[in-house]
Amino acid sequence: MFFQQLITGISVGGIYALLATGYSLIYSLLDFSNWSHGEFAMVGAYVAIVFSTMLPFPFLVAAMLGVAGGALVSWLTEKVVYRRIRSTGGPNMFLMIGAMGLSSVFQQAANLIFTGQYRSYPFKLPVSTIKIAGAYIGVLDLISLIITAVVLIFLMYIINKTQFGLNVRGIACNQWGAKILGVKVDSCISKVFILAGCLAGVAGILYGAKYNVWPTMGNIGLKAFISSVLGGLGSVPGAILGAVLLGIIETLVSAYVSSSLRDFFSFALLIVILLVKPSGLLGVDVQDKA
Amino acid sequence: MKKSLATILSAVMILSLAACGGNSTAPATTQAPATEAPKAEATEAAAAETEAAAEASDEGPIKIGYVGDLTGGTALWGTAGQYGAELAAKDINEAGGIMGREVVIVPMDGKGDPSDSVSALKKLIDDEHVVASIGTNFSSCNIPMASVADEKKIPIIATAASNELVTVDENGNLHPYSFRLCFIDPYIGEVIGSYAAGTLGYKTAALFTVAGNTNSESVGAIIENVFTSKGGEIVISEQCQEADMDYRAQLAKIGAKNPDVIFVLMNDYAKLATFAKQARELGIESMLMGHDGWDSAQLAGEAGGALEGCLYISRIGFNTPEAAAFGDRVTELYKMESREAECLFTRDGVYWIKDAIERAGSADPTAIRDALESTEKFEGLIGTLVEDPATHNPAMACALFECHGDAFEYKGIVEAE
Repeated sequence: MFFQQLITGISVGGIYALLATGYSLIYSLLDFSNWSHGEFAMVGAYVAIVFSTMLPFPFLVAAMLGVAGGALVSWLTEKVVYRRIRSTGGPNMFLMIGAMGLSSVFQQAANLIFTGQYRSYPFKLPVSTIKIAGAYIGVLDLISLIITAVVLIFLMYIINKTQFGLNVRGIACNQWGAKILGVKVDSCISKVFILAGCLAGVAGILYGAKYNVWPTMGNIGLKAFISSVLGGLGSVPGAILGAVLLGIIETLVSAYVSSSLRDFFSFALLIVILLVKPSGLLGVDVQDKA
Repeated sequence: MKKSLATILSAVMILSLAACGGNSTAPATTQAPATEAPKAEATEAAAAETEAAAEASDEGPIKIGYVGDLTGGTALWGTAGQYGAELAAKDINEAGGIMGREVVIVPMDGKGDPSDSVSALKKLIDDEHVVASIGTNFSSCNIPMASVADEKKIPIIATAASNELVTVDENGNLHPYSFRLCFIDPYIGEVIGSYAAGTLGYKTAALFTVAGNTNSESVGAIIENVFTSKGGEIVISEQCQEADMDYRAQLAKIGAKNPDVIFVLMNDYAKLATFAKQARELGIESMLMGHDGWDSAQLAGEAGGALEGCLYISRIGFNTPEAAAFGDRVTELYKMESREAECLFTRDGVYWIKDAIERAGSADPTAIRDALESTEKFEGLIGTLVEDPATHNPAMACALFECHGDAFEYKGIVEAE
């Protein structure tokens, strides 16, 4: 049964990882936690719902438009809200307060437009499962895990092997230094928001396919935040590690302690990490950001 | 600055003193004589009202009140209740009335609000001299209305108000004039536990409830008691939290015990469907069984075959031909968009009062109360009602539903024991 719980934990952590990397990317550049990031996933999921159920688009096209929707709304929030706050020279706290406001606005807007009821995609896999070494894994879960892994590998490639990735890491280390060396900081930040929005969009669609779509589904972003703190705020590999670990810890607590204590353990872990190792498991210092 | 602060502080002090002055919590010794007079007046007034009601109960049409939400956010139910009562009265009058007297329904808007519902009931009793009243469907409204009914000595019958405090107070004392037409939340647990262990013959069961959800936990506790008392064994009890969407950690443990049946007491169709899909994905083939929280047209389709052959027990609703026919008549006559079960409750309320008046041989409110309380069996459209005189909580027949394809189908009646 332990192996079964381990697989479940990795599956839960996979979705956290997609969102946690977005948190980390934005934190690495702007030093603030984008509390509305979970809502980008919700927007992406609803865009896919609109295109696949209200308009006659095939699900795959609708899903891609959903990812684009997450990216668009993420880019817009940076352009319209965060950049303006930054330009006034206000403290980072203002960015976080703005993000909290945006989170509520997105949730309320979704509630008004789509009502609170659950929505599901017309595309449905039959309930089927695969048995690996005595443990079961649902086909949808397996597909979801494979997509997550491919997306995260691609993300790591972008961050570590491309000029854009180098620019991002440069800004993360020293924004002013990077600017002096010719890096277009605002443009790069915009692109990071688009990238984070895409990741959130993928997370939203996979989460929606597994559990339906509803206005407050973005609250999962809180778990992604804990994951990124656990792994090390500002570190993409740390966020992935933290997410998978959190998924496994939550599953094991639910299975062997009590599901009622699962969130207690998650938040207690957050506090312990902040007290004992604030830089997270991968020990991110300023040079290692992103 | 200091001056402004002083002004503000003074204003706050004056307001505080004014508030204290207005407070009615004076020492008991001085309060007692002051409250005696109003109490005596209230008793006299209540006696006068009862006399007026008694006079009204002897001659002319028999007036039955109805309190419901006729204009608020849940007016769909309130108006359906009004229409159901009015159609029942029309049918009774066409068949000769009650002991030859015409029945008149007097509707009053309680707006689904406790204080408005109390006012509406008082108005029905004081101004309209009703001999009994039906409604509401909200426990929050009927709990304060029960005290008014006791004080005025006019029986009231709640429809779907399922909280225990509708008919008994916090100390467990009966509200003698308050009745209801629905079973209380935990009752369905008795029916489910008994049906699973008795009729279906299951020996081992898992219990899955939502932590902190009163309905889920109380129904679960009753199922456990009844199932074990009939020889079954609860091999594992697991819980989730209200917002959870992933149950695989708990399901893996349940699967390891391989129970005959899993009682899944959740109230949200999307979560139930996810639970069922995850159970089947983990290779669990046990029967899944639930309560009225499963009442949803979307559940079976959303579960994508994971609930095939599974059962739940709930209210009968429109599933008998008689109830469906009455619902259709209300819908057609009053131009409603859809059938609302509230019309069945109020229809049964009117007929239950008719049955009580005929058994008592009088339309006197106290005689009606006594007859309602001593009801051995009342056959209504929402099922057969067996009254418990100690609690006024009826035992009622329930309906069994089975999942086939994309829908749950009505399978039959599970009679009250």
